[in-house]
Amino acid sequence: MEVLETIFNVSLIAAMLRTTTPILLVALGGTFTTKAGIFNIGLEGQMLLGAFFAVLGSLWTQSAWGGVAIGVLAAMCVALTFSFFVVTLRANEVVVGLALNILAGGLTITLTKAIFGTRGSIVSGDIVGLPRLHIPVIEDLGSLGKALGSFTPLIYLAFILVFVVWVIIYRTKLGLYIRVAGEKPAAAEALGIPTGLMQHIASLLCGVLAGLAGAHLSLGYITMFAENMSSGRGFMAVAVLIFSAGDPVKVLFGCLLFGFADALSLRLQTFGLSSYLVLTVPYLVTLGALFLLTYRQRPKIFRETAESLQLIRREKA
Amino acid sequence: MAFAVEMIGVSKSFGPVAANRDVSFGVRHGEIHALVGENGAGKTTLMNILFGLMQPDSGEIRIDGKPVVMESPRTSIGLGLGMVHQHFKLVPSLTVAENMFLGMEITKAGLVDRKAQSEKARALSEEFGLRIDPDRRIHELSVGAEQRVEILKVLARGANVVILDEPTAVLTPQESRDLFRIIRRFADTGMTVIFISHHLDEVLEVSDTVTVLRDGAVVGTRPTKELDEDSLVNMMVGRQVNFDRRERKKMSGNTVLELRDVFARDDRGLPALRGIDLEVRAGEIVGIVGVDGNGQTELSEVVSGLRAPSHGEIFLDGKAVEGSDPRHMRAAGLAHVPADRLVRGVNPGADIASNILMGRQHVAPWAKKGLIRWGKVRELARELMQRFDIRAKDEHVAVKTLSGGNMQKVVVAREFSQHMPLLLIDQPTRGVDIGAMEGIHDEIIRRRDAGAAILLISVQIDEILALADRVLVMFNGGISGEVDPANTTEEEIGYLMAGGSRSKEAAA
Repeated sequence: MEVLETIFNVSLIAAMLRTTTPILLVALGGTFTTKAGIFNIGLEGQMLLGAFFAVLGSLWTQSAWGGVAIGVLAAMCVALTFSFFVVTLRANEVVVGLALNILAGGLTITLTKAIFGTRGSIVSGDIVGLPRLHIPVIEDLGSLGKALGSFTPLIYLAFILVFVVWVIIYRTKLGLYIRVAGEKPAAAEALGIPTGLMQHIASLLCGVLAGLAGAHLSLGYITMFAENMSSGRGFMAVAVLIFSAGDPVKVLFGCLLFGFADALSLRLQTFGLSSYLVLTVPYLVTLGALFLLTYRQRPKIFRETAESLQLIRREKA
Repeated sequence: MAFAVEMIGVSKSFGPVAANRDVSFGVRHGEIHALVGENGAGKTTLMNILFGLMQPDSGEIRIDGKPVVMESPRTSIGLGLGMVHQHFKLVPSLTVAENMFLGMEITKAGLVDRKAQSEKARALSEEFGLRIDPDRRIHELSVGAEQRVEILKVLARGANVVILDEPTAVLTPQESRDLFRIIRRFADTGMTVIFISHHLDEVLEVSDTVTVLRDGAVVGTRPTKELDEDSLVNMMVGRQVNFDRRERKKMSGNTVLELRDVFARDDRGLPALRGIDLEVRAGEIVGIVGVDGNGQTELSEVVSGLRAPSHGEIFLDGKAVEGSDPRHMRAAGLAHVPADRLVRGVNPGADIASNILMGRQHVAPWAKKGLIRWGKVRELARELMQRFDIRAKDEHVAVKTLSGGNMQKVVVAREFSQHMPLLLIDQPTRGVDIGAMEGIHDEIIRRRDAGAAILLISVQIDEILALADRVLVMFNGGISGEVDPANTTEEEIGYLMAGGSRSKEAAA
């Protein structure tokens, strides 16, 4: 029992919210493209370039927010390239997305070498990281409040954005047109709604959020850039998007699940368990979630036979 | 008074084919004007020109007497025209109101004002008796209701001339009657309706004036009350069509297809077939009728092997074939004309020869040592094109360029020429013109006389009555009764289609 208490405590929740944030931000970006009918596998690359340029920007401008802005701009450039190929030139979205992911991985390594002459990572005391906010009202709420009241701003922003994105998608004209462009382009075009433009806009909005996610990685808790530091979070976001069909609220819960698994594995490492075993936790959680989500869709024929037999029995009775 | 809509000398060609030739006709204010003609007579092209979806090669359009150029649908909508297409353009996950106001949303403080949209939609729906709940989502609606949403969309854009392209093709008889009531109401309130159809009875029932097109040209425009079914058919095809019961000799063979207590589910997992027992003998045509959605589709899928029954047994030529897939069913002796030729009947992008080959690509003499012998295939294709009167330049023509009737003849030719003991024919003549219809009917009778067992499913009751030896009526996944097509009445069939059971009636 004692062990469980040390594992499941307030700081685990705080850690969970921290680890959830980057996946949540990039997945919320992906809601726009998902709703616009684009399968955006390029989230990973957008986030990675966002992280890299956020560090560069922070060094250039000597301001954390300057860094965030430049990271976001970089991710938007990738997003625009993506939508140019996919929407304007009608290229295959998986191929273009993968290509941009590979490009992002290589580009960050090359630029690191060219600019800093180092390989692997950019570490410098001159990088200005995002400040921790101290929100007195929340901090006063006891131990939980202490843990939740002093995050970096992007963490709060991520959770506020769930609501904002929901309103944009479900309550504004823009969101409506994006959804129609994704679901029934013929209907949109018959009414003079430019579906291509909607998809470009969706992709750009996605770039903004992917850039924020990247900036959170490199300027949030640690202020550094490391090779491939997005480490698959963009792909986890893609998985969440597939199961949530791009619904922001479902995206939130999916990301919390991943964040929880991440935080749990970090915590378990401090218990001296084999790190190889511990690192499987997020994947086990993913598998478990997939199983639960698809359980209802198990082979129809089994269910139908069982139900038909019941029907016959009832009719005979 | 000027016509509400007038087209003068309109011509349109697609390559060497003339779709419309010097078409002139006028539609008066407040009338229901039916545009009739066989498939390929040029009705839809003409309306697409009127609505601005296509540009005519020559000719003039006048609205309220003023010449106009319809550059795009935007122009025609601005002039008060609205068109309800055959294929709906609705967004399934949105509500009725959201679909109606798509592209012209009512907003408040930057957000879509869903309440105001919903109220306006409700008001409009009530004004014309359309009975639609504006807050329902499209995917929850029936096809008939979807069509009413399309009509509402047109009304919301302020149309006073409504064009309906084959509106009843997708409707049940009940829904069609509702639609006629609605368009009658439009006319009563001073709106003008143009109504495209090739169902003569409904044209005679609902319209005030009829314009008949044949081969892209106008045959004539007449007040409906001067016309009857015979004169209309004469105008459409230029000859008399025989829709009476076909002559036949008595046949009685072995049981070829037998279903015993078959149950199946539909795509949503709901029970669709509830204990079907039926038998089809060699040399016999068994017709299936019923209101759409009472299990006919699932019956056809179960027999063709596309849908596994959840209970029950199927015997083909005495052998149990339960749970088979289509390939096994075909190997066991089934030929199948599916309901929707574009989905399951043909590969539209391939040429006629390849489509004829489908299903025999591994059988001699069409294939030898794993290679296809195209010479033999082309020979067969040419022979069948002649026998089934498939009108195309040659066997290399892509099937998608053929008219609906010729496309259906390709499917019929392929399936009928396999000489299988069992023929499953689902909607043999849907969307096919009267000339092609006759040809297909002749072939069905010919296969029957050659000893094939035929299960015939159609939404056209008169077609079933003309062809079948026995008629089974389906209701709610079961068979509600059997009638003798030679001595039955529309009332009897209608009673069974509505779920009444004849034995109960007799007992009462």
